[in-house]
Amino acid sequence: MAEQRGTVGGPVLTEWFATKDLHKLDVYESLGGYSALRKVVKEMTAGQVIDEVKASGLRGRGGADFPTATKWSFVPKDHPGPKYIVVNADESEPGSAKDRYLMENSPHMLVEGAAIASFAIGGHAAWVYIRGEYDLPFEMLRDAIAEARAKGYLGDHPFGTDYPLEVRLYRGHGAYICGEETALLESLEGKRAQPRSRPPFPAVKGAWGMPTAVNNVETLSTVPWIMRHGGAEYAKRGTEKSKGTRMVTVSGDVQKPGNYEIEIGVTYRHIIEELAGGPIPGRKIKVFWPGGSSAKVLPASMLDTSTDLDGLKALGTMGGSGGIIVMDDSHCVVKGAARLLRFYAFESCGKCTPCRVGGNWAVRTYDRILAGQGSQLELGILERVSDGLQNGRCLCGLGDAAGWVIESTMRHFRNEYEEHCLHNVCSVEAALVNA
Amino acid sequence: MSVLSEHLIEEIRELPAKYPQPRSAVMPALDLAQEEAGYLTPEAMSEVAAALNLDPGYVEGVATFYTLFHLEPVGKHRFYVCTNLSCTLRGATDIVEHVKSAIGVHEAGELSKDGFFSYEEVECLGACEYAPVMRLDHRYEKDLTANKIDALIAERRSPTKAAVAHAPLPSPLPEGERAKPKPRARKPKSG
Repeated sequence: MAEQRGTVGGPVLTEWFATKDLHKLDVYESLGGYSALRKVVKEMTAGQVIDEVKASGLRGRGGADFPTATKWSFVPKDHPGPKYIVVNADESEPGSAKDRYLMENSPHMLVEGAAIASFAIGGHAAWVYIRGEYDLPFEMLRDAIAEARAKGYLGDHPFGTDYPLEVRLYRGHGAYICGEETALLESLEGKRAQPRSRPPFPAVKGAWGMPTAVNNVETLSTVPWIMRHGGAEYAKRGTEKSKGTRMVTVSGDVQKPGNYEIEIGVTYRHIIEELAGGPIPGRKIKVFWPGGSSAKVLPASMLDTSTDLDGLKALGTMGGSGGIIVMDDSHCVVKGAARLLRFYAFESCGKCTPCRVGGNWAVRTYDRILAGQGSQLELGILERVSDGLQNGRCLCGLGDAAGWVIESTMRHFRNEYEEHCLHNVCSVEAALVNA
Repeated sequence: MSVLSEHLIEEIRELPAKYPQPRSAVMPALDLAQEEAGYLTPEAMSEVAAALNLDPGYVEGVATFYTLFHLEPVGKHRFYVCTNLSCTLRGATDIVEHVKSAIGVHEAGELSKDGFFSYEEVECLGACEYAPVMRLDHRYEKDLTANKIDALIAERRSPTKAAVAHAPLPSPLPEGERAKPKPRARKPKSG
């Protein structure tokens, strides 16, 4: 079992995390694990499973917040060939580590959730696409699947029924773009991971040309709990439209970085100052990314913002993948943004011109600014490049995200950009030297 | 003279049957080839292509897309140091500098003199709560400090400790369904 740095014994996902050896089937089962899958395959219909998840209000935790039951119901019921659940375990959004935390602590929870999801869409196989760097989670899932198969919970006759269920693993090999669902499907098919144009949507034509629902690790890990306690019980938690609990990863300039399970609706102040221990003594929080590096930044003055998914959307940002990156007053926002742009430029798959060209353009501009060669011109270039990257000009969201980093950091920290561009000074670093 | 061993080629030929469509075998196959050869030479990629009935250019196209496939020689132990934002906020830049000086190289990808080590700066490893982090020998090393890095290097330079330090490599194949290499009599070379 992995070292825990985060919530243990939370209300839903981390409920059993205090139990030793939870990754072993007998321990997981002794607490009630696999009772949901047993009930589903023996007593329920696919439609009933979807209805239960619909009642829970569960929305996808990979970043898009899309209602899970709705996604499943898009998969055609009368399709004659195979249908697939594909589990997006390619977690690589900067600042997000919660899927790794869930898989390392409770791999069976994902296996059970993936099997239930397969049943719900009328499929027989779930494919877990896991990023290549995740060696330990891969091994734990591999062993968990083997245990479940040996026990007869997966295979041709799960729990003695005649409804075959399989969970299979596929390893990625290092590409952020694989977190995008259609790029992931391309990669799973043995191709360069470049996003597809939609339609057709994966629900119609997904993995290997078959109807497919792509779900995030955390989303599916929540499903067994919902099936055990009922959708209505889950829906008691959270806000009016953002039900339940979710994982957040807090990283950067805080005293207790970690993966925390929160009830949706708590404020970022609660997460950052109470759960994550607040700023390093003597420093002040300046800015935070509320949902992975792709979510538009919020300044510290907005720490009382709620984690409600729709509330965040209304602010122009998002809860995203739950990766909260905190930066304090000892760090320069321009340098932080420059680092993220290098990331987006490097990870651009190259298919769409605005993203391929725009990302590198932004990197070169930031390089000039940080080398002391900035001017009014550079401020204008960043604004134009940021606009060019956004607004749905690309097949997937990678370009938009790169644009959002520029736009949101410039909007809230125009002063730092102007200092760098117009005066060639960094007051943040100057203050550190003088301190 | 082929670069990849005969039993590896055989193993690669058996891969496509494990997937709904044979093309999905390309990444697991490249993974096996890289594990055996250390890195992917054009010859190795051609042999993978031949074993899978794919065009060599196609296989190379896949290999060049993904950062975990190496097309140049790499150190036996590779430091994949995360320098994305969360790690940089907690000192990743100093960690990279320390790794460079400790293994005696000037740039990413360069081999140390003994060929034991090389390093790369990588994007987010998804372990931000332990920043700064790196991946070394299929394991994450967390809360990195200069001392920790020195210890990791020393362990790997000393052969007795090395055996303990290196956990067995996970099989790159799904569910560890890796076929056992079949023992095979070597044909005496003619000429």
